[in-house]
Amino acid sequence: MTAVAENKPAYEGKALDLSGKSGSRAFKNTLATVLIGLAFVLAMIPLVWILFTVISKGYHLLLSADWWSQSQRGITVRREGGGAYHAIMGTLIMSLITAVIAVPIAVLGAVYLVEYGKGTRAARAVSFMIDILTGVPSIVAALFVYAVWITIFGFNRVGFAVSLSLVLLMLPVVLRSTEEMLKLVPDELREASYALGVPKWKTIMKVVVPTAFGGIVTGVMLGLARVMGETAPLLILVGYSKNINLNPFNGFMGALPTMINQDRTELALQPAADRVWAAALTLILLVLVLNVLARLIARFSSIKSK
Amino acid sequence: MSVNSLLRVGSVAVASLGVLALSACGSDPTPSGSSSPSGSSSSAGAECPQGTLNAEGSSAQKNAIDEVISKYNEKCADVTVNYNPTGSGAGVKQFNANQVDFAGSDSALKPDEMTAATKRCAGNPAIDLPMVIGPVAIAINVDGVSKFILDGPTAAKIFQGTIKTWNDPAIAKLNPGVTLPSAPISVFFRSDESGTTENFTKYLQASGGGAWTGAPAKKWTGTGAGKEKSAGVAEGVKSTKNSITYVEWSYAVDNKLTIAQIDNGSGTPIELTADSAGKALAAAKPAGTGTDLALKLDYATKAAGAYPIILVTYEIACTKGLPAEKTALVKSFLSYFVSKDGQASLTDLNYAPLPAEIQTKVDAAIQAIS
Repeated sequence: MTAVAENKPAYEGKALDLSGKSGSRAFKNTLATVLIGLAFVLAMIPLVWILFTVISKGYHLLLSADWWSQSQRGITVRREGGGAYHAIMGTLIMSLITAVIAVPIAVLGAVYLVEYGKGTRAARAVSFMIDILTGVPSIVAALFVYAVWITIFGFNRVGFAVSLSLVLLMLPVVLRSTEEMLKLVPDELREASYALGVPKWKTIMKVVVPTAFGGIVTGVMLGLARVMGETAPLLILVGYSKNINLNPFNGFMGALPTMINQDRTELALQPAADRVWAAALTLILLVLVLNVLARLIARFSSIKSK
Repeated sequence: MSVNSLLRVGSVAVASLGVLALSACGSDPTPSGSSSPSGSSSSAGAECPQGTLNAEGSSAQKNAIDEVISKYNEKCADVTVNYNPTGSGAGVKQFNANQVDFAGSDSALKPDEMTAATKRCAGNPAIDLPMVIGPVAIAINVDGVSKFILDGPTAAKIFQGTIKTWNDPAIAKLNPGVTLPSAPISVFFRSDESGTTENFTKYLQASGGGAWTGAPAKKWTGTGAGKEKSAGVAEGVKSTKNSITYVEWSYAVDNKLTIAQIDNGSGTPIELTADSAGKALAAAKPAGTGTDLALKLDYATKAAGAYPIILVTYEIACTKGLPAEKTALVKSFLSYFVSKDGQASLTDLNYAPLPAEIQTKVDAAIQAIS
């Protein structure tokens, strides 16, 4: 209703005779407002429901220090105790390796698309490929790496292979968001830099990328959040281990999604059910912490704050 | 500008380090029965090698092997054993693809699998070692019925769909004095491919007196509604009145379902216990050659007190051909699994331990691995 009141002055100048039809217009406006509001509520219901369920069922294990510092070695589904340290570290290590590989490729690729290759056939081809890569399901990425890493090269299943397939999933996300951020940098800034005689590479390094830095970091964090919860590559490319293994190049490795999957079939047993919910909550918290970090980094490193 | 960019890079580095530092140093939980955690590892000596053993396969033996690993680690603290319950088929595939050191499977190696396994073991045959008996329960949920008796033909007709209601004369005849409702029987089956389904349908075919028309297979061919995994069918029966399913013993117990006693034709209905399941295994015949201990179960056994619906889960290992340190690990762990201590922990989890004479045979086969 307030929207109607606000909108009115804008129309008054153009069409004065509209006041006569205000009844039907007001009705349409109310209808649209109600529909949009309903859609919002509908979208929120599952989100709030999931959060409420996971938090209420999972929080109590997270309160103990053991959860954050111990593995599940020797703990069976009938026994309480142990923690998720092995899985948290596994998830962090694999995500970190993924980021180390994917971020430079994605950022440099985006720089090429925006700064150098604009409008060329090569850039259009890369752009098109990235669009396709965005739509590749995680299971396909996992099977591709399985074919290369295990079938062709004959290596064993290890955490690093998971990282390789996660790179395929993270790359398009980071590349696209970086590209959008670089496009947002006004051409005036580049032209001002050129006018001062600064070469192109230095302009990109010192002007374009720093201006877009906050947005790039946000894109990286969103990409990380996306790959952290992926399960298919973990199921196919590495065995789950209840034990601490910090070496991504040797042996089975725990991770939060596979920890959930492991005890999922034993929900009739309370200790297992508790751990499933707690692991789910831990995963959500990790993603949340990453997102908060992204916001903070974006805020403190933006050019304007200086 | 340069100070600013330094700050920027610094903040990212600090943030990512912080994430790692949050959980910088973790440890393994101390064993529950920590009588002498420091003394045991030093006194263990030659029996306990060091290293990591990776295995994969049958989900039916997951709880058993998890328990045995836990017990084994109290003895041998320096060995890490990982077991991934991805299913019998997946386990054999990963074993043959040289991804794991031994596999768990609900059925012995088939000839073509044996060919691949021999290749994987550098030209030496692989062996099937029976390790755990997993009884399969027929679980029901009918109001007021806490003791229920079935025989082979009646069970086959129910799961085939030819007996449709609980008060059918065939069921009533087996359960005198029990009031059964006239409600239709809801059957739940495993929608995923399962060793449990395969063994259960073998039983229905062997002792159903021709009432079961399908061939035994991992995929269900009878009547009913599909549910995923053991947890799914158990949950289905628990939440649905007048329903019936077949499921591993432990799931029936954990979900507090009524378990049918089986009349195997010996005259007295047999309750499902570790003992009665062990007796059925005694009726099995060896089917393997050499030290291979694959068993052919007799599902139609009429032996007194033998509960006939069981599955045997095997560990599949190389007789030769693994690297020396892996061989030592496999021998150390598997011989603990088949030992009295290892088998004793299984009864509480609703598995049945191997009968003594089979334990001896399996142990001899493990010692022959080199």
